[in-house]
Amino acid sequence: MSFIELRQVEFCYPRQSSPAVTDINLKLEKKAITAVVGPNGSGKTTLTRLIIGILPPDKGEIYLTRSPLARYTLAEVGARIGYIFQNPDLQLFCPSVAEEIAFGLSRAGQGPQWIKEKVDFFLEYFELDGYRNSFPMHLSQGEKQRLAIAAVLAHEPEYLILDEPTIGLDAFRKKQLVEYLHKVAGLGRGMLLVSHDMAFVNKLAERLISMENGRIQSDSERRGRLLNEG
Amino acid sequence: MKVDPRSKMLLVICISGLALIYNNPLQLALLLAVSLALLGAFRFDIGMIGGYLRPLVSLLLILFLIQCLFTKGGQVWLTIGQLELVSSAGLIAGASVVLRILVVVNSAMLLTTCSSRDFVLGLIQWKVPYEIAFMVSIALRFLPLFRDEMQNVITAVQLRGVELKKVAWGEKISMYRTLIFPVVYRTMLKAQQLSIVMEARGFRAYPRRTYLRRLDLYWADYVIMSLALTVTVILLVGQIL
Repeated sequence: MSFIELRQVEFCYPRQSSPAVTDINLKLEKKAITAVVGPNGSGKTTLTRLIIGILPPDKGEIYLTRSPLARYTLAEVGARIGYIFQNPDLQLFCPSVAEEIAFGLSRAGQGPQWIKEKVDFFLEYFELDGYRNSFPMHLSQGEKQRLAIAAVLAHEPEYLILDEPTIGLDAFRKKQLVEYLHKVAGLGRGMLLVSHDMAFVNKLAERLISMENGRIQSDSERRGRLLNEG
Repeated sequence: MKVDPRSKMLLVICISGLALIYNNPLQLALLLAVSLALLGAFRFDIGMIGGYLRPLVSLLLILFLIQCLFTKGGQVWLTIGQLELVSSAGLIAGASVVLRILVVVNSAMLLTTCSSRDFVLGLIQWKVPYEIAFMVSIALRFLPLFRDEMQNVITAVQLRGVELKKVAWGEKISMYRTLIFPVVYRTMLKAQQLSIVMEARGFRAYPRRTYLRRLDLYWADYVIMSLALTVTVILLVGQIL
């Protein structure tokens, strides 16, 4: 059973003459790591926004665990699928870095001590401890990216969609992110990566989808993906 | 038929001006009908009006209730014991306030039927200093930006698994109060970045500006402006007398 399925999906932005994505037929498994690559404007980000439910498809259907995505609210989808925007500014809204990670964790039904431990863990892991009480908008682009990733991962969603997660990250932090995503994958969580960074994709993806002009050009399994074991 | 932005600006001024002077709900309702008719005539998508007005619904409701409860006079419609709650004067005042706001908002939408570039050009040809005209155009641009920022934040909150509809009112108000700060901050940051970019591209570097295009008034514009001014003056005089 596919976790996410798209059938004949098409979407066109308002006042655009040609669709951003068209004829998309795709099945994404819950525990697999899939990468979507392609040139600028090929429809990768649009595809992720359709899957998460921010954009409704003009044609076709999208299913989440065999139920039409349209039946879910954005919050219900967000509780199951963690989405990391290409621009981290779009998903940071709390007055401090610590609150950004803690936001929504109280709804897990756990106590303050659990929340504090979780926040402390992610602050330390993503080296944001020194910015605990800082206003997120004052962070550098790379720091905001790390914060956005930490804030989404803290909720332990079943599936992750990461849109260009390595933008603004230096080599060390990219390695750190790869390691963390390996751990997340090891816990049985799948993910969809959109990235231009082929080195990053090669270290993680088991399946590679390439897009161009809004269509899927190729979809292949990657046997024996390269891993940086160092 | 392409109408000059200056004609549309005059229409907005006339309709908004009359809306501020009228106190009768019937007159305001007629003015609202005229503004809607003009929007239709200028090919504004009437279906989009709901989208623009939806964020104002709760504000309009609150204003209506305040006017109803605190304006006394005429026939009393609702009492609780000895306390007069709603009277006919209150209902009229409430309706007037709501209709006035709707008229002003709807007439302002007329300005969205022309490009901001033409709008600025129109103001300049009316001898408004370029800096002032540009400021007006930027202000119009930032209103949808502010709305988009708020929408982005709400989307981000929902994507963290928070069902806003199920959050209790008290907590929701507290949440929105917290969320408004990053929205305002990000909008101001965009404004600051815009000003830096403008200066970097030579804004006000030279005392004189030249323009690629020039707007011309045609017979339709003269007819619209003459009609608008004449009708407005007649109605104003009628209102005063």
